[in-house]
Amino acid sequence: MKDVLETLKGWNAEGLRFATATVVKVERSAPLGPGAVLAVSEKGEVAGSVTGGCVEPAVYDEAQDVLAGGPPRLVTYGIADEEAFEIGLPCGGTVHIFLGMGRRDLIDELATAVRDERPVALATEISGSGIGTQRLVDLNGHFEAAIEGDTFFLPFAPRPEMYVFGAVDHAAAIGRIGKFLGYRVTICDARARFATRERFPDVDEVVVQWPDEFLRGAPVDERTAICVLTHDHKFDVPLLKVALETPAGYIGAMGAKRTTESRNERLRAEGVTEEQLARIHAPIGLRIGSRTPEEVAVAVAAEIVATRRKAAVAA
Amino acid sequence: MLIRAGELASAGEPFALATVVNVRRPASARRGDRALVTPDGAVYGWVGGSCSEPTVVREALAALGDGESRLVSTEGSCASEGAVEILVEPQLPAPLLAIIGESPAADTLARLATGIDWRVVWGLDEGADAVVVATMGRGDEEALAAALAGPAGYVGLVASRKRSDAVAKTLRTMGVEEDALARLKAPAGLDLGPIRQEEVAVAILAELVAWRHARTPAALPAAEAVDPVCGMTVSLASAETVVHEGTTYAFCCAGCRARFEADPARYSVIGA
Repeated sequence: MKDVLETLKGWNAEGLRFATATVVKVERSAPLGPGAVLAVSEKGEVAGSVTGGCVEPAVYDEAQDVLAGGPPRLVTYGIADEEAFEIGLPCGGTVHIFLGMGRRDLIDELATAVRDERPVALATEISGSGIGTQRLVDLNGHFEAAIEGDTFFLPFAPRPEMYVFGAVDHAAAIGRIGKFLGYRVTICDARARFATRERFPDVDEVVVQWPDEFLRGAPVDERTAICVLTHDHKFDVPLLKVALETPAGYIGAMGAKRTTESRNERLRAEGVTEEQLARIHAPIGLRIGSRTPEEVAVAVAAEIVATRRKAAVAA
Repeated sequence: MLIRAGELASAGEPFALATVVNVRRPASARRGDRALVTPDGAVYGWVGGSCSEPTVVREALAALGDGESRLVSTEGSCASEGAVEILVEPQLPAPLLAIIGESPAADTLARLATGIDWRVVWGLDEGADAVVVATMGRGDEEALAAALAGPAGYVGLVASRKRSDAVAKTLRTMGVEEDALARLKAPAGLDLGPIRQEEVAVAILAELVAWRHARTPAALPAAEAVDPVCGMTVSLASAETVVHEGTTYAFCCAGCRARFEADPARYSVIGA
């Protein structure tokens, strides 16, 4: 929905009413996931998309009906595979879409929260007696769009954090790809000479501080990715110890097999358990034969994606 | 010489850089002497004369083939007592990725590929190392058939598993050969379970990096032959050659060729 917020703000400013169609659930594969929104203004303008073209015409008609005073509704479209093939779309599967009038007073508030990276969720009643009512609630761990009872929670989470420790060439490449994946990227190194804005113009923040000290004070949740490139036991060991005390979804550490083994020995000596050690991805990144820092960054990004998708499936 | 290297690099032309790193006298090269070798076996610069040049060319072409640097020694291959050690480094242009299709997925992939220093071209390009088709159903089959008929080693399709299977079936009925279909990656990308476009792009780039480093050396290394006079392995691309009784003989230098020509019978048995 983030993609249409600016347009909705614009319609709001013009005093236009609008209906929204929101994907609340998909079965099997669908082009767009829960939270995808198509909005239609009373002038007939359209913003966003719910299936990338598969069922948009039908949804548009439903939205027109809602705008004309029809009740809010939950509709289901089976995108038959043959049909998907016929009209040449890479889809298939079933989508459940909720249609209702947009709460104009909520839009500005929501846009402000998103701009300030405040963790909020848009809660919409999609069934039951209160169908169609909407309110903003605390995000409260709703990182994925989901239906709970009669309510559909659409999260507007701030960007997840990526912390990269060690101001080396690999850090710049990993930081860039981290931004690409939607992370708020911070690079941290104790050495002021290396951790400079000039060397890392693309990331959100460059911090000169001892890595373990920095991480102890930094916000971490299960979406956080921690990349340890310091490559020196003096930094790695205390840093990884702190990292393992956090709920971070991904912890990766650079170092060849032998380095990893000797680092693990030290961590064990510090009281770190085997289960905790198993959380560390080392050597960092999927093994795809990477050579350049950019290729290492791709390997790390691929590992992060695989890790968080596995977590999403398990949840 | 380094200026020429820079020109070749910015033109996207492959070459190997050879640098003398060690010298045992007597030798005509000095530490720090450099030459660059182009894929046709031509040498620009100086890394020693006829003793080292054939070895350097052979190793340079091999390096261009497998992408690995190597340290080569002319020990024993020279009539004089000297020897030089030469570092040969391949300078391969960034791989070229052709993306076919106008779709958000295609744009996202292009953004990431450019970000990790691949070169990106829109539409089918004869020189592309890899082709990714992301038309989102608007001509996937035709684009893939064309790409598979070309030389690209990697041909990928952005689509769901189900759609991929259907497309593969269609390609078969279109008459695309099985060994061409074996090059097709559909769906493109390592199976990371990705959903968002950015994640799909990461999965595809990861597969491309893996493919790039796993593939067997390209067909670049030219044929080699053994100099029948001195026994050195030389690359045919740069060697002095003589055709004697229907057989081509290759030599490291004009000296060896002269000796051969003076008495072919003495050496041709070895070379044959």
